[in-house]
Amino acid sequence: MDLIRALLIQGLQMAVVLLLAPLLTGFVRKVKARLTRRQGASVIQPYRDLIRLLRKEAVLADNASWLFRVVPYLVFASTWVAAALVPTFGGGLLFSWTADLIAIIALLGFGRFFLALAGMDIGTSFGGIGSSREMMIASLAEPAMLLTVFSLALVAGSTQLSTVAALMSSPEVGLRVSLGMALVALIMVAIAENARIPVDNPATHLELTMVHEAMVLEYSGRHLAMIEFASSLKLVLYLSLIGCIFIPWGIAAPGAGLADYLIGAVGYVAKIGVGAVLLAVFETSIAKMRVFRVPDFLGAALMLGLLGTLLLFVSRSL
Amino acid sequence: MFKSLLFFGAGAVINATGERDMEKLGGLIHRMPCTSFAFLIGCVAISALPPLNGFVSEWLTFQAILQSPELPQWGLKIIVPAVGGLLALSAALAAACFVRAFGITFLGRARSDAAGQAREVDRFSLTAMFVLAALCLVAGILPGFVIDALAPVTQAFVGESLPSQAHLPWLTIAPIAEARSSYNGLLVFLFIAVTGWGAAFIVHNLASRRVRRSAAWDCGFPDPQPQTQYSASSFAQPVRRVFGSLVFRARETVDMPPPGDLRAARLTVEVRDLAWDWIYTPISGGIAFAAIRLNRLQFLTIRQYLSLVFLALVSLLLVLALWT
Repeated sequence: MDLIRALLIQGLQMAVVLLLAPLLTGFVRKVKARLTRRQGASVIQPYRDLIRLLRKEAVLADNASWLFRVVPYLVFASTWVAAALVPTFGGGLLFSWTADLIAIIALLGFGRFFLALAGMDIGTSFGGIGSSREMMIASLAEPAMLLTVFSLALVAGSTQLSTVAALMSSPEVGLRVSLGMALVALIMVAIAENARIPVDNPATHLELTMVHEAMVLEYSGRHLAMIEFASSLKLVLYLSLIGCIFIPWGIAAPGAGLADYLIGAVGYVAKIGVGAVLLAVFETSIAKMRVFRVPDFLGAALMLGLLGTLLLFVSRSL
Repeated sequence: MFKSLLFFGAGAVINATGERDMEKLGGLIHRMPCTSFAFLIGCVAISALPPLNGFVSEWLTFQAILQSPELPQWGLKIIVPAVGGLLALSAALAAACFVRAFGITFLGRARSDAAGQAREVDRFSLTAMFVLAALCLVAGILPGFVIDALAPVTQAFVGESLPSQAHLPWLTIAPIAEARSSYNGLLVFLFIAVTGWGAAFIVHNLASRRVRRSAAWDCGFPDPQPQTQYSASSFAQPVRRVFGSLVFRARETVDMPPPGDLRAARLTVEVRDLAWDWIYTPISGGIAFAAIRLNRLQFLTIRQYLSLVFLALVSLLLVLALWT
């Protein structure tokens, strides 16, 4: 009985992140549009886009290889698996022991690795520039993220996300300098990884300003739909991650009743809603950086992560 | 395992094309599909990505680093997180490096005739590569058995070994306790395979499975010349600018001809290896200095040589006597 329930919750969690992802993207776009005094498209526009793309035929370049056709599904699968392992409304997920935080980061790295390869498959200069810059950004963002994870794991004594979230909601953690640094570093990494504004612009098609979009330029139809879906899943993943680590209140404990899960669900929607609004406000209030300023931005995140970890190594109470 | 696999792959490429320069390869995935698949597995493994074996070892190293605040020595306490950061940095840079290696060699369009007319290598080389690739995968999804098999070795070296892993449910690995950290390569592999295949199946059956081939889009300005592709050095340029200026003193100089001049512009990249400058150059300089000073010994008389040999013998015997 317990197993069935746990399985049900895990399945529900996978469905929730999948169904919520396009809505979140649409919501961020809507808030951004309203902030610039535009009407903006409806919040369900991403769903319509996805369906429209899925029903179109896929146009492949003449020299596209099998890798080019497999990559969209690999990227989608790895991102979805990673997103399904982050606690959203209930803790103690059935499969949370399969992959800890380090493995979740590596799963995202897996998707990025293949996407960068696909960008180089056709042999156009745009794909190459996108892949090359994406890997440059990743080579700084990934260590910064891992160092953040180190400081969290040192506080919680575990890299298991469910355990970390459970410990963070208990009163014994309190306010810590190192956790503050980890939060700032994590937000900076999340902005870079999701290709949001100061690092990359998700809405542009101007050659010199795009990284992620240049990489997927040759994709169309259902392949493009899978990649877009994966990138909205990634946004959900990062917002849920920040939510479940730094504002873990409301997440239902394993074995809680239905009411607790409802509270958890409402709390979760509120959390990522607030996160999305903050993201939109941040994006409208800042201009995009030059590509070679990005390493400074991410280097700051890296240093914050390292500093937080060092503090924890030196002292147990900071 | 993945290193031998990658060396085999590189050998196969050299064998098939006779070309060592990455800038003259490209598009080999069409001509050598089996080699490129095995090489891809090696690239994923060496970049420490799940579900292959490289990730398992990286994961275990990180778990060891997270244990180290309990160490009593202060020096180690400070060094270990820095080492962890450097390890994370090197894993990410390895991924960038192997995207470049695979992308330039196997993907894109052929940059020379040799690459355009390459043939798949013989069956024996392919078998060797595929056996290693399969081993990478097996060690990645069933790491518990490998850890157990290696336990006698670690026992012999450091006198400790991890608790037995193979009996844990679902072939998970958990170095200390499951509540602390655990990783299950088999389930991660299955999850990715099932969701990826399921998504492809659903999309192909419910939405669209039509494919049209056409020229590359490239924002409307595709250039048919393969030289316009991103090359290996252009791929490395951002990383070179970020890290290279510090670690390798990379300097880029552009020599632009004045307006009206038809001379071609030149871009020069100068990279210096600091390890070479600071470690090898002083050593070789010292040896050269000593060699020039000792050169005089070559032009002595026989008497002087004999006394030199005698002195050397006496001093050696003295050293021996004092030593024991």
